[in-house]
Amino acid sequence: MRRLVAVELTRLRWRRAILLLLAAAVVVPAVIFGATAWNTRAPSAAEQARMEQIIEKETNRHQVQRQLAKCIANPAQYGLPDDGDPQAACEEMTLPQPEWYGLRQPLDLVNEREQGSAIGVVVVLVLLMLLGGTTFVGHDWNSGSMSNQLLFEPRRGRVWAAKGLVVLLSGFVVCLAVLTAYWLGLAGLASHRNLTVPDGALADGLKQGLRGTLIAAFAGLAGYALTMLFRSTVATLGILFAVAVAGGMLLAVLGISNNQQWQPQNNAAAVVMDGYHYYDDSGLPSSCFTGQAQDPAECSTERTLSAGQGGRYLGSLLLLVGIPSVLSFRRRDVP
Amino acid sequence: MTDLVIETTGLRKEFRGRGGVRVAVQNLDLAVSAGGVHGFLGPNGSGKTTTIRMLLGLARATQGTMRLFGQPVPHLLPSVIDRVGAVVESPKFSPNLTGRQNLLLLSRAIGAPASRVDAAIETVGLPGRDRDRFKVYSMGMKQRLAIAATLLKDPELLILDEPTNGLDPAGIREIRDTIRDLGSSGVTVLLSSHILAEVQAVCGSATIIGNGRLLASGRVEDLLGDRTSYRVAAAEADAARRTLEGAGFVVAPAVTGDTDSALTVESDDPAAITRVLAGADIWVTELTPLRPDLETVFLQLTAADTLGHEHVDTDETRAGK
Repeated sequence: MRRLVAVELTRLRWRRAILLLLAAAVVVPAVIFGATAWNTRAPSAAEQARMEQIIEKETNRHQVQRQLAKCIANPAQYGLPDDGDPQAACEEMTLPQPEWYGLRQPLDLVNEREQGSAIGVVVVLVLLMLLGGTTFVGHDWNSGSMSNQLLFEPRRGRVWAAKGLVVLLSGFVVCLAVLTAYWLGLAGLASHRNLTVPDGALADGLKQGLRGTLIAAFAGLAGYALTMLFRSTVATLGILFAVAVAGGMLLAVLGISNNQQWQPQNNAAAVVMDGYHYYDDSGLPSSCFTGQAQDPAECSTERTLSAGQGGRYLGSLLLLVGIPSVLSFRRRDVP
Repeated sequence: MTDLVIETTGLRKEFRGRGGVRVAVQNLDLAVSAGGVHGFLGPNGSGKTTTIRMLLGLARATQGTMRLFGQPVPHLLPSVIDRVGAVVESPKFSPNLTGRQNLLLLSRAIGAPASRVDAAIETVGLPGRDRDRFKVYSMGMKQRLAIAATLLKDPELLILDEPTNGLDPAGIREIRDTIRDLGSSGVTVLLSSHILAEVQAVCGSATIIGNGRLLASGRVEDLLGDRTSYRVAAAEADAARRTLEGAGFVVAPAVTGDTDSALTVESDDPAAITRVLAGADIWVTELTPLRPDLETVFLQLTAADTLGHEHVDTDETRAGK
């Protein structure tokens, strides 16, 4: 088995398409990192001065001051709590802020983790690994060389496992390296800019990187398993595209109204972000809609998919694809 | 212990499609003894490649048993696969890898040393082109690479499916010589080919199948039969025919060349033919031995089978209903 894994690793290294995808897995995150660094750079003195002028001018406008006064007098009308500091809250809400005029926000590791570039990097890696797993073995089917390989190793279960292991491991190593480098790079950049990094922000980012690595590596394995089942890169990508486009519609047609929890991307997000929040008003008692609810908590529409739920969902999907893939490869005639 | 290298009993393969069930191989009993070159003949679509693919584990038999080196396959195929080299249909390699890289991947899969790759490339005459990508190879070079791949295992059994396809005349001769040498060196070669002259020239024994069924099998000379005939030409062909028939010879019109003045006479004694004709003052202008060839036997068998198959198909259809 070790010999077979080594052979598949060599085959992977010798495939140009795979090398291009792996290169893209390094280059695209590097570009995203560069863009993030550029977009969060400190404003120049001239930019700062011009912005302060604009803000001062806007703040002193009569309408703005009237809004501020109304807010302080009745914060609840503006959706602010009564028990806080109405002056500060209302100023933040009604007075012009630098970002309203396009002034760049400084690099914020927490923001990058929750809704910033790090999520984008994981999405890119997932797509690239999926393509990698698909094209790696799709080439074997397309060229017909699979049958030649089986003349040298007829134990098909071993062949499936060796190829799958190589896809999984190579995806894991590359993604782990890229995401770790990405987070260390962000932390280094923040340090270089003398920005305060909240305690644990880097560790949380690295943990998210590890979860993203697992999702991307298993996405590669899923792409591989699907292609071993359908024996064609094009068929696999077509089916994935169809699921992405029509999956939600199909769930709705099937009458699964609360279908957000069944969407693969939401479950993947739950794993990567250690929980995913979404809103759903199905299943609420009718009292929530008539304003007669006793407990406002029971009318909350916020739902959470935990990382565990997401992991179980994605694991089930992988089994759903993997088991037929192995069985089909072991039993069907090879062209 | 059996000396049969390949043995199938009651082998059957069905393909299920939209048009129903198609029987590619039916009740095929194949036996190939160790050593020598065994021809595997049949018209296109007769089930040769399907049979080979089943033996090699690439296709599942619907029914029947198969053995390689006495071991049941595909169950124990892993235990004997290292002793079998095979080229099935057209050569199939990764097009973007070089010939050498393709061979290296296969050799590493069986733990063979890299030196064996060099030796195989040398044997099939690919040095100098082995570092080119497979996709730029000519058909002949692809065939050579496929044969080189079979040699990586140092096989005891070589299964070659149309190995001279796409080769130029010199290449065909080289491959035939290689096959002949392998056969005489103790390697058993199963040569599937539609080139009958090739089989007759290289093989010691042969199996002929048609419509997935065994039509004939045995030593090539036994398949050809021991009938010998002569093409006899004389100035007075009619008189010659009457004289020979009167002397007890079986005479038929000649089928090739000048058929007006020539006859086909069954006999293994050419001197007797000339003696009888000379006795009647008929002088022979041509006396050519006509040896039966595999093509004739093959065409007779497969033509007869085509007629029979229509009946078999009808039976199959009835059984299906």
